[in-house]
Amino acid sequence: MEVGFLGLGIMGKAMSMNLLRHGFKVTVWNRTLSKCDELVEHGASIGETPAAVIKKCKYTIAMLSDPSAALSVVFDKDGVLEQIGNGKGYVDMSTVDADTSSKISEAIKSKGGSFLEAPVSGSKKPAEDGQLVILAAGDKALYDEVVPAFDVLGKKSFHLGEVGNSAKMKLVVNMIMGSMMNAFSEGLTLAGRSGLNPSTLLDVLDLGAIANPMFKMKGPSMLKNNYSPAFPLKHQQKDMRLALALGDENAVPMPIAAAANEAFKKARSMGLGDLDFSAVHETLKKPDHSS
Amino acid sequence: MTMRCLMNCFFGVPINAMAATRTSSLWGIPFTLNFNNNNHFSSNSRSLSYISNSTSSPAPRVGFLGIGIMGSPMAHNLLKAGVDLTLWNRTKSKCDPLISLGAKYLSSPEEVAASCDLTFAMLADPHSAIDVACGNHGAANGMAPGKGYVDVSTVDVDTSKLISERIKATGALFLEAPVSGSKKPAEDGQLIFLTAGDRNLYETVAPLLDIMGKSKFYLGDVGNGAAMKLVVNMIMGSMMASFSEGLLLSEKVGLDPKVLVEVVSQGAISAPMYSTKGPSMIQSVYPTAFPLKHQQKDLRLALGLAESVSQSTPIAAAANELYKVAKSHGLSDEDFSAVIEALKSKFQQS
Repeated sequence: MEVGFLGLGIMGKAMSMNLLRHGFKVTVWNRTLSKCDELVEHGASIGETPAAVIKKCKYTIAMLSDPSAALSVVFDKDGVLEQIGNGKGYVDMSTVDADTSSKISEAIKSKGGSFLEAPVSGSKKPAEDGQLVILAAGDKALYDEVVPAFDVLGKKSFHLGEVGNSAKMKLVVNMIMGSMMNAFSEGLTLAGRSGLNPSTLLDVLDLGAIANPMFKMKGPSMLKNNYSPAFPLKHQQKDMRLALALGDENAVPMPIAAAANEAFKKARSMGLGDLDFSAVHETLKKPDHSS
Repeated sequence: MTMRCLMNCFFGVPINAMAATRTSSLWGIPFTLNFNNNNHFSSNSRSLSYISNSTSSPAPRVGFLGIGIMGSPMAHNLLKAGVDLTLWNRTKSKCDPLISLGAKYLSSPEEVAASCDLTFAMLADPHSAIDVACGNHGAANGMAPGKGYVDVSTVDVDTSKLISERIKATGALFLEAPVSGSKKPAEDGQLIFLTAGDRNLYETVAPLLDIMGKSKFYLGDVGNGAAMKLVVNMIMGSMMASFSEGLLLSEKVGLDPKVLVEVVSQGAISAPMYSTKGPSMIQSVYPTAFPLKHQQKDLRLALGLAESVSQSTPIAAAANELYKVAKSHGLSDEDFSAVIEALKSKFQQS
């Protein structure tokens, strides 16, 4: 099966590598073309522009960092819209708000193309291991056609109905995740300051009802102040902000998410935006950086 | 009965009956501690056979103060394992099922402590824990050298230290041992003990903890167990509040909350608590495994701990507010998952 792939960042690179390794023909594009080199070494072809990729491929997947990049790739000059049409499918796996997704969907469909939004749950390692959770919504026929690609990229796929539903589901999940990371960080810090061994706290948590892979994975590195990015903090804060906006539109009270968002903002103001989102842990440390 | 004698007779179990043994030395007297090195106790060795041969003293008499949601199944597990058990509860009738299974009953903590070698206490909050240990006809009045008091209530550090001092003033040993785990883990003997205090007493009661639980930690000085428990429940309370926001938001934007629960269960934030509580929360039912009032108490105490070490805890503070609102709406005795109602009620007010 042949697919186009737009966006070779932390996620896109791992995902397109995975497709290549499983025998897919992949044509890649990235804003910074040099990022394509490694993919080419593994057998990918290059498209000079998003339009060129669409022209070549029946199905194209996009994995961009935020709403503005997702829109740009579609609407700008040499963008997706210039070549999308009947018989072609566009699968946007970026995490964006529902409005952005709808805008892209309408534009694609107005040119005769079919559209699927399909944001993922999971970061760098699940992407490398093909263990993502894929939240698709939109054209069901297109979904059925690209399932072979989804089966390589992820461990489970959902089809959630109309465009917008996946975007919302993803934001809700990441909202909970962002709040959990903050709660976890408060606990680790309090354990240390109360004279307990924070590693022992990790052991205790791992045995009980609130054990989860994120605590297990991130806990040890947080205790060593190691925040190498699997999921950049700036993207987590973007997701919190979009989730709060969703709550805002529907008058849903979200005091925990609001408090968590503040912590992520503070972390960004401390220059931690490009580190892993677990770097929010740094916001609780005393000014002399001893906790 | 001296502690030395107690330990010799307590572990008079044939070596071939146990999965793993190790020989240690305490006060220069070698003896064998019969429990698994990983602090895990397999279910088929859950009952200890208190074989008393003609040369050793009888098995320890164990008291249990507080027969509530947690105390009842914990005491039941001890009884099933053949432990000589004496109960006390503020409301005696709560003890009737266990009495019919062979437990004894005495009418005050003092009498229970006086008649037992080891006394456990499982009370709802700091006030009750202090009252039972130090109040009129309290356990301390019945304690003496050679005895041990194990408080498995969840309290703040200062309360635990106060009880510890009072108990130790009698010459007895003290262990704080709050648990992680609620009603079902208590029933299944799957609790996690977070102990601190007298190490000797910890070693002595270890086999009893292994009957009631799946793992145990010894964390050093009195106060460390209490602090660890509060930290764990602070994280848990915040997580439940955040999960509630997620369930409610998903519903209000036209998603199926059941699908949210399923998606969460597939990913990095999948926790047993979400899978267990999610479905009932979606139905707006909150069968009590862990009363909301106790979760709020734990958050309040955790915030106090944070304040004592000058630490900011914005998420826990926000979560505490939600539990307070839920309490004000009469949900104190519901399961702590009822905190989701606090979010709903805000826009149901006219």
